[in-house]
Amino acid sequence: MADNLTEQLKHLIVDALSLDDVKPDDIGDDDPLFGEGLGLDSIDGLELVMTVEKEFSIRIGNSEESRKALQSVSVLADYIRAAQAAKA
Amino acid sequence: MNSSPTPPSPGTVGIEVSDCITALGDAEGTVTRLLEGEVALKKSPVLGPDGGDEVPLALRGEFTHTERPRWWSDLTEFLTPLQGGQWGDAMHPVFFASSNYGIDGLYSLGRQREVRFAEFATPHGCVDALLAELGWGRHCFLLSHACVSGQLALDRAAHMVSSGMAAKALVVTFDYVGPFVAAGFHSLKILNEGFPAPYCDGETGSIGLGDGAAYCVISDEPSPFQIGRQNTFNEMFHFTANEPEGSGFQSILEPYRELAAKHRFWVKGHGTGTLEAGKLEATHIHSHFPSAPLVSWKGSLGHTLGSCAAVELAIAVEGIRQGRIPGTVGSKAPFFAENVSPESFDAADFDSALLLSNAFGGAHAAMLLHYA
Repeated sequence: MADNLTEQLKHLIVDALSLDDVKPDDIGDDDPLFGEGLGLDSIDGLELVMTVEKEFSIRIGNSEESRKALQSVSVLADYIRAAQAAKA
Repeated sequence: MNSSPTPPSPGTVGIEVSDCITALGDAEGTVTRLLEGEVALKKSPVLGPDGGDEVPLALRGEFTHTERPRWWSDLTEFLTPLQGGQWGDAMHPVFFASSNYGIDGLYSLGRQREVRFAEFATPHGCVDALLAELGWGRHCFLLSHACVSGQLALDRAAHMVSSGMAAKALVVTFDYVGPFVAAGFHSLKILNEGFPAPYCDGETGSIGLGDGAAYCVISDEPSPFQIGRQNTFNEMFHFTANEPEGSGFQSILEPYRELAAKHRFWVKGHGTGTLEAGKLEATHIHSHFPSAPLVSWKGSLGHTLGSCAAVELAIAVEGIRQGRIPGTVGSKAPFFAENVSPESFDAADFDSALLLSNAFGGAHAAMLLHYA
């Protein structure tokens, strides 16, 4: 069964980064977002972090944390859940 | 792929006079307080009076909205000793360098749509105002290449003097913290709540930002401070990331390897406090010059961006004059390399300083300073 948050993140990645050649379904839950995976670069990363912070009302503290959070869609989903739980 | 301008022959040009202003004062005051281990950085709202997260900033005066840019009165007062005279004529060019010039004027203009902000909204607008205020001629050059701006100005100025195209050259650099710049680094997550600890092998990195300005007169008059080999290199790898193996650091340092056999030098690194670049820089410096002490002062003064090379040159010159070179204030072991020096050391144990700057886009610049 599809996880709503991971599906939401895949759509958000495609929309926020204007990935014309990529559909949300093309992104695997555990595919690396950077390098040989989806091929995002650090500017994409910056944009994605800002979008995620705004969309989910969380803060990512530093570049090391953002790098860990953006490893894959499933890791990012776990990060968001943990950040929201910590706020609650 | 890269550029390496023909360097002036070592010993042909020198530094006649230099000074800087930082959050700790002028060059003399800054060295004195660095030697005492003082950290100028303080937690401040990233957007100044508009609030935001608290981040480490080393400011000269209030971070407030002003009619003119907040650097204007501080900088013009600092430059008063150089007012008038021959600066800006054909044989006495002025090299201005800044990362940001009037970016906060542009920011205010864009937000408030008031024409009063237009005067300082461009680099040329800022420099025109400075030329008029200081009574300097229009033979000047504007450079801006992120955090190697100041080093490039020093490079070009020395080249003009050593080649006989100028009798003397004046380098003026300035970068003051403003909301646009601070928020930009904050959004990159490299200006965060942590204080910078240059070359520290920690779990997270952060930079701090600082206000800073400097001037330096370069001439072929006899001077105890001679400019040796200068060098530039650009990795052309990625806008915000160094080539992972550190080839840029390797390339900028390599020309100095043979000079290390003839001179005893210490190294003033770029050392902002970020982990990846800090590790690459420290490990490559150590592999090239294992016995040269490596220091960075950005853990106290913050990163003065495009002004940092000239600011840190003035600090180096003053430290040599005082006989003691400040250590890497604000950082602590474990370090990425064993030659990182947290403590101050005697200038007389060495005869040269290698001064390094790096920048976004993979730019590197270096200058060897010889002293008697």
